[in-house]
Amino acid sequence: MKFLKKVFLSIAFIAVTSLGTTSANAACKVHLGDFDWDSANVHTAIVGYILEKGYGCQVEVTKGSTSPIMAAHYDQQLDIITEVWRDNIVQMHEEAVAAGKIIELGINTPSSTQGFYVDKPTADKYGLKSVEDMKKPEIAKLFADPEAPGKGRMTSCISGWTCYTINLVKHKVYGLDEYYTNFDPGSGGALDAAIAGAFKKGKPVFSYYWTPTGLMGKVDLVQLEEPAYDNECWTKMMAVVEKIKADGPDAYTDTCASAYVNMALTKSASTTFANKKSNKKIIDFIRAYSVPTPDVNRSLAFYMDESGGDMEATAKHFLSNSGMWMSWVPADVAAKVKDSL
Amino acid sequence: MGKYKKYIFYSLYLAAFIAMVVIAYTSSKYKPDSVAVLFTDFSWLGNWPKWLDLPLMPYLNEGFDKLIREYGMFFEGINNFLLGLYTDMKNFMVGLPWPLLMISVIALAYFASGRNMGTTIMVAFCVFFLGFLSPRYWDKCIMTTCIVVIGMLLCLIIGIPVGIMMARNKKVRNAILPILDLMQTIPSFCYLIPGILLFGLGAVPAIFAIFVYAVPPLIRLTDLGIRLVDTEVVEAAEAFGASKKQKLWGVQLPLALPNIMQGINQCTMMALAMVVIASMIGTRGIGDEVLLGLQQLNVGMATEAGIAIVLLAIIFDRITQSYGEKIQERTNTKKIKL
Repeated sequence: MKFLKKVFLSIAFIAVTSLGTTSANAACKVHLGDFDWDSANVHTAIVGYILEKGYGCQVEVTKGSTSPIMAAHYDQQLDIITEVWRDNIVQMHEEAVAAGKIIELGINTPSSTQGFYVDKPTADKYGLKSVEDMKKPEIAKLFADPEAPGKGRMTSCISGWTCYTINLVKHKVYGLDEYYTNFDPGSGGALDAAIAGAFKKGKPVFSYYWTPTGLMGKVDLVQLEEPAYDNECWTKMMAVVEKIKADGPDAYTDTCASAYVNMALTKSASTTFANKKSNKKIIDFIRAYSVPTPDVNRSLAFYMDESGGDMEATAKHFLSNSGMWMSWVPADVAAKVKDSL
Repeated sequence: MGKYKKYIFYSLYLAAFIAMVVIAYTSSKYKPDSVAVLFTDFSWLGNWPKWLDLPLMPYLNEGFDKLIREYGMFFEGINNFLLGLYTDMKNFMVGLPWPLLMISVIALAYFASGRNMGTTIMVAFCVFFLGFLSPRYWDKCIMTTCIVVIGMLLCLIIGIPVGIMMARNKKVRNAILPILDLMQTIPSFCYLIPGILLFGLGAVPAIFAIFVYAVPPLIRLTDLGIRLVDTEVVEAAEAFGASKKQKLWGVQLPLALPNIMQGINQCTMMALAMVVIASMIGTRGIGDEVLLGLQQLNVGMATEAGIAIVLLAIIFDRITQSYGEKIQERTNTKKIKL
């Protein structure tokens, strides 16, 4: 009996150890930083998949909200970020670049839209087309802010992001501040939930929002026209924005304002990671990586409606249905990725 | 029959489990062509098979959508009531000149602590430092205080009766304890985000979150406090012919009061902790200063606001704690007189 037990135990031990060694020793290790919004998740999943299957790297992903992730990235703990909303964190990002903590790897999504949106039913009913149309007390009443009686509420950007202050200035310049509060939703998830919740209840929505996002495909939002983007005007406005960020809202001075410029989303790598010779091929790949907005939106729609919340399946779906990624990587890597699909 | 009752229960559990597996299998997109494949191809034993996936998520989503669609008005009503209460209270307190508000808080501390000078001076310092740290903090602390106080009132109105019911009836206790465990362990974002969908952004989902997070210790300590009352004292009351109501109000509650006060104190502290988390769902207050500091990687700003929250917590803690001590002293002296 004792003998049998020993035999059994040793077989079990051998089985476990052999299982442990079958996972191949990875040639490289990459630590990706990911954020709490879905377009970043898609890019991280695609990049992670290619690195894992094509380059045979061991990929680790850490996910969090903007500031902790960026702080860890500047601190060299996270190697690569695939979607940086550069303009929203421009100050600390440029500081980190100047200090040699990170290097920028070019543009990922060439254009992203930001702006003020109203839900389509309300926009059609009241003929709301531009921000000027919003400046009526009876329209403001539709979007009533329960915490500020007599005013409407525009759910704005998250305070701490530059877009919050930009929206604040725009409100003043357009004269919206008389009718609406510039309401900080606190986090990206809360902003999404506020829009989705209003749609579910069939209530009017007036909100700042952006694309590419998964939610945009599910709800019907109409962008309000603003004065067209003008570089000179924008620079002037940004000077005021920076002043407000430093000294508080009282620092506001008269300025002009225009629509958001189409913002490019960038990529970056930590200097320590980029300087390692063995990582050169990975850096080249990330540099070449770029997905246009419509493709991101398609992937997001697939993620939300068909994948059942599975990001890896979304990445595979993108890789099997689009050939654009073949040009990012050498032929041998592309072949390996293709085999794994 | 009684002997087999246990087995009947076990087989019911087993049946429910099998039903779940069958539902998971039949509703899965990834199931193999036929069940027979499972017995010829054993690859599914390697990794957790994709078809063995309980479709809980779609059900929950559907249920939640239905809740919003059909009971939206009901939540709207709660929302309007709580929001009205909050706005009135906030506007009143913000409208008061700050020295007046400060003096009232100090007076409250003075009388609640039974004219204890040490506590009063401590509270006075903390109140002054709230505004002293940064003038912006004063109004924000008032907002936070209003949310905490309303959340606490809600906890008291619901928590104490539930605690009493639990202490009186073992069956109720067995039913409620797992719910309390759930409320204390479920991550706060699981109910914060649905809170937005139900109530919209702002103060009300925060009050709702405070209730979920802070009521369990109050219920537990009320229950414990009443059960810890000396059985001999209760028996004595019964011997004198006290009715159930008299027993509760005259004996059990007064003797359990120190424990209940401890529960209220814990409830306040947890409410304050939740207010900071709630700033992530757009709740105005001192918490959004912390969040703003973190979002801008401004450690000084976040820490400064963090200190303000600690001061606020000390104020709440000192007032409720010393009031509890005062009550305890009073009941103790009563006992000696008896």
